[in-house]
Amino acid sequence: MAHGHHIIPLRTLSMVFGALLFLTVVTVITAQIDLGLLNIPLALAIAGSKAILVVFVFMALKYDNRVNLLTVVLGVVFVVVFLVLTLADTEFRGSLGITEPAIIEASPESSDTGSRMP
Amino acid sequence: MSSADTTLKHYFVSHEQQFDAAKLGMWLFLVTEILLFAGMFVAYAVYRSWHPEVFLQASELLDWRLGALNTVVLLASSFTVALSIHFVQKGENDKVVVLLIMTLVCAAIFMVVKYFEYSGKFSHGVFPGAGFEPHGIVDGKDYSKYDIPFAPQFFSIYFVMTGIHGVHVLVGMGLFGWLTTRVARGHFSPQYYTPVELTGLYWHLVDIIWIFLFPLLYLI
Amino acid sequence: MSDESHNYLNARKGLWSWLSTTDHKRIGIMYAIACGAFFLLGGILATFVRTELGEPGETILGQDQYNQVFTLHGVVMVFLVIIPAIPGILGNFVLPLQIGAKDVAFPRLNLASWYLFMAGAIMAVCGWLFVGRVDTGWTFYTPYSSGASNAVLWLTSAVFIAGFASIFTGLNFIVTVHKMRAPGMTWNRLPLFTWAIYATGIVQVLATPVIGITMVLLFLEKLLQIGIFDPALGGDPVLFQHFFWFYSHPAVYIMILPAMGIISDLMGTFSRQHVSGYTFIALSSVAIAFLGFLVWGHHMFVAGQSALSSIIFSMLTFLIGIPTGIKVFNWVATMYKGSVWLRTPMIYALMFLFLFTIGGLTGIMVGVLAVDVHLHDTYFVVAHFHYVMMGGALIGLIGGLHYWWPKMTGRMYNETAGVIAAILVFIGFNLTFFTQFFLGTKGMPRRYHDYSEFLEIYPEFAVLNLASTIGSYILGVGLVMILVYALYSLFRGPKATANPWGACTLEWTHTGPVPDEHNFHDTPLVTRGPYDYHLADDVFGKKTES
Repeated sequence: MAHGHHIIPLRTLSMVFGALLFLTVVTVITAQIDLGLLNIPLALAIAGSKAILVVFVFMALKYDNRVNLLTVVLGVVFVVVFLVLTLADTEFRGSLGITEPAIIEASPESSDTGSRMP
Repeated sequence: MSSADTTLKHYFVSHEQQFDAAKLGMWLFLVTEILLFAGMFVAYAVYRSWHPEVFLQASELLDWRLGALNTVVLLASSFTVALSIHFVQKGENDKVVVLLIMTLVCAAIFMVVKYFEYSGKFSHGVFPGAGFEPHGIVDGKDYSKYDIPFAPQFFSIYFVMTGIHGVHVLVGMGLFGWLTTRVARGHFSPQYYTPVELTGLYWHLVDIIWIFLFPLLYLI
Repeated sequence: MSDESHNYLNARKGLWSWLSTTDHKRIGIMYAIACGAFFLLGGILATFVRTELGEPGETILGQDQYNQVFTLHGVVMVFLVIIPAIPGILGNFVLPLQIGAKDVAFPRLNLASWYLFMAGAIMAVCGWLFVGRVDTGWTFYTPYSSGASNAVLWLTSAVFIAGFASIFTGLNFIVTVHKMRAPGMTWNRLPLFTWAIYATGIVQVLATPVIGITMVLLFLEKLLQIGIFDPALGGDPVLFQHFFWFYSHPAVYIMILPAMGIISDLMGTFSRQHVSGYTFIALSSVAIAFLGFLVWGHHMFVAGQSALSSIIFSMLTFLIGIPTGIKVFNWVATMYKGSVWLRTPMIYALMFLFLFTIGGLTGIMVGVLAVDVHLHDTYFVVAHFHYVMMGGALIGLIGGLHYWWPKMTGRMYNETAGVIAAILVFIGFNLTFFTQFFLGTKGMPRRYHDYSEFLEIYPEFAVLNLASTIGSYILGVGLVMILVYALYSLFRGPKATANPWGACTLEWTHTGPVPDEHNFHDTPLVTRGPYDYHLADDVFGKKTES
């Protein structure tokens, strides 16, 4: 028998829906104002909060088995891993490399000058 | 119990076990969906960080009002799905049918808005990839001024992300149509409503993806 | 064993009863047939490659044909054999039996994933036969792939579809292990093969969607020129490599983790001893699954990624050595003071220990930044990954197939033939690939159909390549021999008993010689661990009464 499932009260569901609409208005308004560096983090923070509301209440993860929560957390962690390690490349291309072309000399005293380019 | 027994597969011991297994399977599937979209979000992040000014400029061509409308429509559909699970748990199936049809209508509105957005872009030469050749004037915006390097990348990412998201919406519509007939035929009860629950989870994920797409593509 | 003659093989008859089955054991057999056929195809292609390289100059293949042949060899072996084989064949057959379940959690999904796999496989092979021959290598790097013929569309779609088969298999096993265990089958009583398949499932679920989206983007790149990966359109080819290896490096662990699980079970059974460091082996599988996601950039040290990320990826790569070392040392410790019984499966387990250790340690070598600059894209890398994939994953699979063969077919194979074939495989394999370490350190590049230009500087290339080619023939003879005595055993082999190896896990102690359709007559009640050989009465007393 599938008894004992948590029934989320209508009041909770309605409040969450209201909060989601409110956050949508907030993100639209704040996007019209230029906050400089804060633009992207703020928009992502609002979107993140909305996602958390949906996951925990609408998708009932708050009342659910812990293993389902673990599954979602793992998924999100590996999205972050994917993003961070890829950006570790794309954001720092050429930052440590030697960009000036140089000719590798054969004579012993000029060897190992750190030149990588042919 | 006898009516519920037909829904219990022989390799499960109890309904509880069967329900929990189905739900864990669905969550794992949702994780694969998250990672599928992650690839596109990573591509977005990389190109945006390389060409921030191009992305800002190109996103002006997307109408945030239509994006916001679609956000509200999808949030409303998520709400109706959450309500339908509330009522199926209480056994009030007539309300469930109404709510699922409302969800279906919301999804249809979303796709119609998307259709007008896409066709508006296509008619002014904003295509993904090689066909990118913006022209014409809409709302005082001269599209030909947006023919700049890396603007095609923005629109490629826009079309691929929203396109794959749109495919998910269509799949969801099919699922809700199928579910509605099953609810109407009385297939579900507070003891057995697994397909409603799982489709609901899927739909909320589609909503969440859009919650991120909207600000990233339309607003910032 | 109320009725010996009634079992899963003869419960229903006819081809359709197989094609429509949801029985995990039958699906396992169907994977075995499919993967076996693709292994044969991939093996024939490998023989072509080695024959071309046996002598300097062009022998049997032109340069384009050579590129097409090694590409199909790579695609078939990676996507159609090594990735699906162990979870598909042995995972399906053994895992539900080992945890005392009647079936996997989603039997219909299980059958669907076999069909998806077959659809992908048929697309790949038909695309190659009828549409055009891709020569990009199995990695599909842009701009090779974005500039290649339209046949690449077929191959990327095939990989996309076969990827979903892999996802559904992994998902199914994770849920099965979480929700379907028999009463008393706690997490620390799970056999290590089950643990390994569970960890593999995590990788399949988390990594495979990314190859899916990569293939979609590559498809669109080719179809619409969307300019994400193609440098000619302003895209970034290195970004493609990030996407590709975010899947394909973890995919290496999809290949090797299940083989490690097989070896753990073989070590316990054939040393007649509790597997040393059980908890550590189990958790190191999970650790490898997670760490495997953090190291993909070590495939790109010379691809133009930033120096910073190269350093990070190189350092993270060394971490993999820790859980892997834990496993290897614990396997050795399991044999210590055990009574080692050298039957064919155990010979493969020992072979794995030897070959995989070479493969793993050379992996650490190419993970060193400076060393990799020298060895990248040489035969050293080719030798390294064949030691891991063939010497590790496939040797593990062959060992596992020998071990579970009596349970799958109800027949025994000829032990002497098994030992001779194993020796041939061992000699052939090492002759083929150990020589390639030397070739690689001397700088012989991979993916060249001819090396006559190098002979002036390195005349030894000729003899090393010849030795490698001869080795591949010996390896081929060994593998064909296995096929022959396996087929013989299928029809003429002596009937097996329920537990011919005296193993301790449920699939041996609680089922008949061939399990019946629903696995167990009564759901087993588990009161002991999987390798509790010290409880011999408890373990083997049950055999006669069940």
